[in-house]
Amino acid sequence: MIDDMKAEDVSGPEVTLESICVPSDAVVFREIEGDVIIVPLVAGIGDADDELYTLNETGKAIWQKLDGRRTLAEVAAALTDEYQAAPGGLEADVLGFAVEMTKRRILAVRG
Amino acid sequence: MTVQALPLWSKLAAKGAPHAFDLELTARCNNDCRHCYINLPSGDATAAAAELGLDEILGIGREAVDMGAVWCLLTGGEPLLRADFGDIYLGLKRLGLLVGVFTNACLVTPAHAELFRAYPPRDIEVSVYGVTRETYEAVTRRPGSHAAFLRGLDLLAEAGVKVRFKAMALRSNLGEFAEIAAFCRERTADFYRFDPLLHGRFDGDAVRNAEIEAERLPPEELVALERADPERFGALERGCTDGMVFQPSGEHDGCDHLFHCGAGQGSFTVGYDGTFRLCSSLCHPDTVYDLRRGTLREAWVEWVPHVRDLRGSDPEFLQKCRRCSLVDLCLWCPAHAALETGSMDAWVDYFCRVAHARAGALGIDG
Repeated sequence: MIDDMKAEDVSGPEVTLESICVPSDAVVFREIEGDVIIVPLVAGIGDADDELYTLNETGKAIWQKLDGRRTLAEVAAALTDEYQAAPGGLEADVLGFAVEMTKRRILAVRG
Repeated sequence: MTVQALPLWSKLAAKGAPHAFDLELTARCNNDCRHCYINLPSGDATAAAAELGLDEILGIGREAVDMGAVWCLLTGGEPLLRADFGDIYLGLKRLGLLVGVFTNACLVTPAHAELFRAYPPRDIEVSVYGVTRETYEAVTRRPGSHAAFLRGLDLLAEAGVKVRFKAMALRSNLGEFAEIAAFCRERTADFYRFDPLLHGRFDGDAVRNAEIEAERLPPEELVALERADPERFGALERGCTDGMVFQPSGEHDGCDHLFHCGAGQGSFTVGYDGTFRLCSSLCHPDTVYDLRRGTLREAWVEWVPHVRDLRGSDPEFLQKCRRCSLVDLCLWCPAHAALETGSMDAWVDYFCRVAHARAGALGIDG
């Protein structure tokens, strides 16, 4: 879901479907010409040689629903409605995205 | 992913939006380099009073970000002379810009090193004037600057901050240029470049321009230096082979447009006093726009096309430069011609001799 990012195994806070995730203070995110761009602000985000990151369409759709109020389950439900997916079918995708992004300090768990 | 690899890059280009800009934070410098095109004394109160303030800089940064800019280079003068450098640097990074810094490293403090460690720049490029104290300070004309430079480099290295190096090839340091290259390559796996092409002062100071001229290498020595650098000379050769450097003869026949370069095409420069320029060297009064009297968007949308439509009329320029097939081997451009002569459409003898010497080395008939 995040382009050109290799795995870096760091333990992040536990993320569940009841978590509310928001962009972390360690990055700045921008939308330019329809693309979501994530610009690392601090050291140690992702790979050393990467300057910034873009999200693919799935990642972008999830990211845009992370409004600081909805839980990940609610995000998945909203996307399920929007894309007319099978009930519960997107929860694993949303959770996987949030876990990966939280490990990389791009997302933070609120509360 | 690198900036250039993003699909975003081509989207911005297709839209004609700016993707990058240079910000000269000050024209002042702690050094007094013989070849410098901009430096004013560090204590120059008039220059300091004219500098953009933090709020003005961040305002310009916000406008640039709104227009799509991704990359910002902080330069000078010496940008670390500014007491509010950290606020400027972090403020621009927090807007979502990738921020680079050009510095001579002499003023790097532990606080700067910690700032760059915690909030990494896209890159830091350090200018190297010599490896011995004698040579370094013959160029900078500041006793103690060599030790300060080494101390600054050490602070950056201890903080794990990667640096790139740039060296200007001058008569004053040519004798140890091989040692300069070795010094730089030993200290960075990242990047080292040298530049043998010196252009005139932004302020037109005649005494300082004479000093710059005195530092220029004769064309034959300049080309010999380039030939000795396989990377640099190889790039020139490849450019010719690929048709990217060698312009087919007659391509510009009949055209009197001054600008065939990339000035104002995706990037721009903001001077320390808020003047908008299409490129870092273009200071001619007919081409600058005061951002204290208008917006960046107005400058980009309205002023840039106006400047790019300017024409040349000097017969010598039209006869020689505009018909020349070696234009891409030449330092000539409207900006450099204006710095040399005051006129954007003037032929410049030194530039011409360098271009022909390069062509000779590459086996091209000019």
